[in-house]
Amino acid sequence: MDVLSIQNLNKKYEKFALKNVSFSMKQGTIMGFIGRNGAGKTSTLKALLNYVHADSGTIKFFGEDFSDNEFLIKQKIGFVSGGVNYYPKKKLKIITEVTKRFYEKWDETAYESYLERFHLDPEKKVDELSEGMKVKYQLALALSHHAKLLIFDEPTSGLDPVSRDDLLDLFITLVEEEHVSILFSTHITSDLEKCASNITYIKNGEIIASMDKKSFLDGYRIVKGSSEKLTGAISKKLISFKKHADGFSGLVHTENLPIDGDIEILPADLESIMIYIEKE
Amino acid sequence: MKELMYKEFKLSMHPVPYIFLSLSALLLIPNYPYYVTFFYTCLGIFLVFQANRENRDIYYMFGLPIRKRDMVKARFYLVVCIELAQIVTCIPFAFIRDKFIPMNNQVGIEANVAFIGLAFIMLGFFNFIFLTEYYKSGYKIGVPFAKASTMMFFYIVIAEVMLRVIPYMRDYCDSVSVENQIKQLPVLLLGVILFILITFLAYKKSADNFDKLDLL
Repeated sequence: MDVLSIQNLNKKYEKFALKNVSFSMKQGTIMGFIGRNGAGKTSTLKALLNYVHADSGTIKFFGEDFSDNEFLIKQKIGFVSGGVNYYPKKKLKIITEVTKRFYEKWDETAYESYLERFHLDPEKKVDELSEGMKVKYQLALALSHHAKLLIFDEPTSGLDPVSRDDLLDLFITLVEEEHVSILFSTHITSDLEKCASNITYIKNGEIIASMDKKSFLDGYRIVKGSSEKLTGAISKKLISFKKHADGFSGLVHTENLPIDGDIEILPADLESIMIYIEKE
Repeated sequence: MKELMYKEFKLSMHPVPYIFLSLSALLLIPNYPYYVTFFYTCLGIFLVFQANRENRDIYYMFGLPIRKRDMVKARFYLVVCIELAQIVTCIPFAFIRDKFIPMNNQVGIEANVAFIGLAFIMLGFFNFIFLTEYYKSGYKIGVPFAKASTMMFFYIVIAEVMLRVIPYMRDYCDSVSVENQIKQLPVLLLGVILFILITFLAYKKSADNFDKLDLL
């Protein structure tokens, strides 16, 4: 079953627009929503949750239309926009005390166990938490009402490498143990290498790819060669390329292979794909 | 709504409106424009909104299963609670003023039943201007408060002029005698009705605006 499906979402801003954004997510998957800063990741997530009103398009969570069932659907999802960035001077226990009342399925035992697991002290104020702990507190809240789908807006961008790794491990564990699905936006490609099973790529408000990670990676190849090998015919085939002291390197769609001549063809990694796609 | 009201009092409420309830004691000053007491009430409400903006309250609520209109409704309830609490705490002070300080207020209306009725109307207008303006953006509070305060200033001037010009008000409404205070009851009734009506309209307009608003 699709836990989330978006069809032809459009939203026009003064200087930017989301254009026919469509993608869907299966249960039990971790989808990385990737794009450079300003590509429309946060705008899409906000439109998904009705923070902003889409001009057109349909959004379905768990097969149900979001606009008709917003209240019930929000019981089943956890949205984390960065870490907890509200009520900085309140203690966690106060925020929890208020938050839990909104959820029919609040599980106090689960909450206690997440606090312990994440080493969260309920007597601490939000401001006293590190960025990683803020994300973990949000996670504890979301998981304690048994959210089936967790949506994160750049959960890792403020974290150090160790906390980031820790959080990504946790994502994998959650999918395995709690059978949740996770959608998270990021511009840090190593996050995706580590834990995403699917990738949705957004560029200038348009989705340019949404598929499983392996197919996405298989769709591109890095090509390298000396400068004199870069003929007009080759450069036409490339999505984009860079010249450097040793020659050139570029990205090509696998379907545009083979390329004639003495050229090295290598598997592409996410970071290279992103860099070359954005140079296009 | 029960959960939301719990949240309003536990997270959103600012201590200042509680402290400002003590300003109902301003009614004990023999010569004083008593409407100013309610200006402080409105200032307290302004501070609640300011604190909630700094605390990113709207973004906290957006993660929760709450309808957008209900966020507005809960905040209106909170505002009305603050206003009613101020009015209720005014009553004993007005009683003491009328009973034990035997001199007329030289600078405005007496602390009487008509005053409470007229204050209700002023608070209704404050709600209309401040809240509907605020919910157009979800974050701007300065200009809405400046507009609402200007309105209150003119309202006070007009109310005081009416007290001297309209015969019924001139004869009965600037008095603290029990007999005259009974005659002032229609003003109180009118005040309560207008307060409810205007605040309700303000809620409708605010909720409609907030529903349409994109939160960036």
